Amino acid sequence: MKNKFAILFAGVALLAAAPVWAHHSFAAEFDAEKPVKLRGTVTKMEWINPHAWIHIDVKDASGKATAWMVECGSPNTLLRRGFTRTSVAVGQEIVVDGYQAKDGTNRANGRDVTLPGGQKLFLGTSNPDAEGGSK
Amino acid sequence: MKHGRLISLSCVAFAAVATAFAQSTPPQARAKTAAAVKDVKNWAPARTPDGQPDLQGIWDSASLTPLERPKELGTKGVYTPEEFAAYEAFRAKDMNRDRRDGGNAADNARAYNEGWYDRGAHLGRNMRTSRIIDPPDGRFPPFTPEAQKRFDAVKARLAAHPADGPEDRPLFERCLTYSQNGPPLIPGNYNNLYQIVQTPTAVTIFSEMAHQTRTVPLDDHAKLPSNVTQWMGDSHGHWEGNTLVVETTNFRFNDMSHFGTQYDYGMSDENLKVVERFTRTAADLLIYQATVTDPTVYTKPWTIETPMNKAEGAIFEYACHEGNYGMAGILSGERAREKKAAEQSGGNR
Repeated sequence: MKNKFAILFAGVALLAAAPVWAHHSFAAEFDAEKPVKLRGTVTKMEWINPHAWIHIDVKDASGKATAWMVECGSPNTLLRRGFTRTSVAVGQEIVVDGYQAKDGTNRANGRDVTLPGGQKLFLGTSNPDAEGGSK
Repeated sequence: MKHGRLISLSCVAFAAVATAFAQSTPPQARAKTAAAVKDVKNWAPARTPDGQPDLQGIWDSASLTPLERPKELGTKGVYTPEEFAAYEAFRAKDMNRDRRDGGNAADNARAYNEGWYDRGAHLGRNMRTSRIIDPPDGRFPPFTPEAQKRFDAVKARLAAHPADGPEDRPLFERCLTYSQNGPPLIPGNYNNLYQIVQTPTAVTIFSEMAHQTRTVPLDDHAKLPSNVTQWMGDSHGHWEGNTLVVETTNFRFNDMSHFGTQYDYGMSDENLKVVERFTRTAADLLIYQATVTDPTVYTKPWTIETPMNKAEGAIFEYACHEGNYGMAGILSGERAREKKAAEQSGGNR
């Protein structure tokens, strides 16, 4: 039976591999050839629509700070999950694993945003019955 | 009649699902499913003070059910309980954005980890294999030859000039309108809630996505003249038994208007008509159907069905224009690409 379902859904996987859409095309704004990993401290959190933005200062080896802004998803979803305006604090250190803007400026999408210890800052749920799962 | 059959079918399917899931679901979830079965059999909608069936409340249209049916499933419109459980697990895993496989392009397109998405964790309660329930293959009908020509021309133009200006981008990137706004109402990755409010003379459908409101008069409110068009059209409603029927025409359109069909390259014209049917079949379940007819674009009409689940508030504001940095980023990204291409071209001479 398991094999039967595997065959049944084989083509479905290909369909799902096509780019997803949200508010805008990520491929149009960010460069898949420019993956970045940034470790910095939060200087400002913009809880705005259609996307929230986290501003961070990233220091190089000499201690010189460069400002980056990181695009995140819709604030509505996070508010529904209990995140608030204080959930990301100024001065907090975060690690951003994402892709740089196509125009070469210091903007990136926050593909994965984690705390220095590796814990996901915006932890989603794949458990249907967990808090935040849609019924 | 068609709807009556659907409800009967759902009863049978839900009963079977409840049995199949009994071994694997927590008691709370089983109790909910059992309650739904009981409700569908015996439930009659409450009435508003003026006597209308009461559809009011907040409704969640999110689910993992795909819009078009996978071709492999042919005309199979409804899952067996066994298939339902297997596909639900597969779909949840397949759509999970925490995945980092597939290379940089796929990774970039997935954009953010799963925490930002709110597309539902279950397939629709109607057990359907796709949201499109007609044509029988669950897929969009072909375009007419003229519409196909227009579609191909738009696609070719956008391939060569993807972002000369905002007008070349999909309407949702411009914060104008989304598939969730409809009509027809088609859920997306998040912001899939609706609030319905009724008065004796109108029904208002508020969509969380982009904070759009559609007021549907139920009385003899004058229809707009044909030369006045709006992105969400001109809607008028009436009751057929317990079903609210809403007919919408006078749609504004351009090459980028999508109406849920092709997100980047939409197709509709002045002949578009959408007929929606809202039926509350249980205290916590609203069945939404919509038939799209546009004889100069589609070779036949198509119909979708979305079960909406009663949800708790609140709906938050989604003021899309508030900080739409994305549009500037897309346009500046394309200018950077053009500049780089020109430099490379110059260097090769």
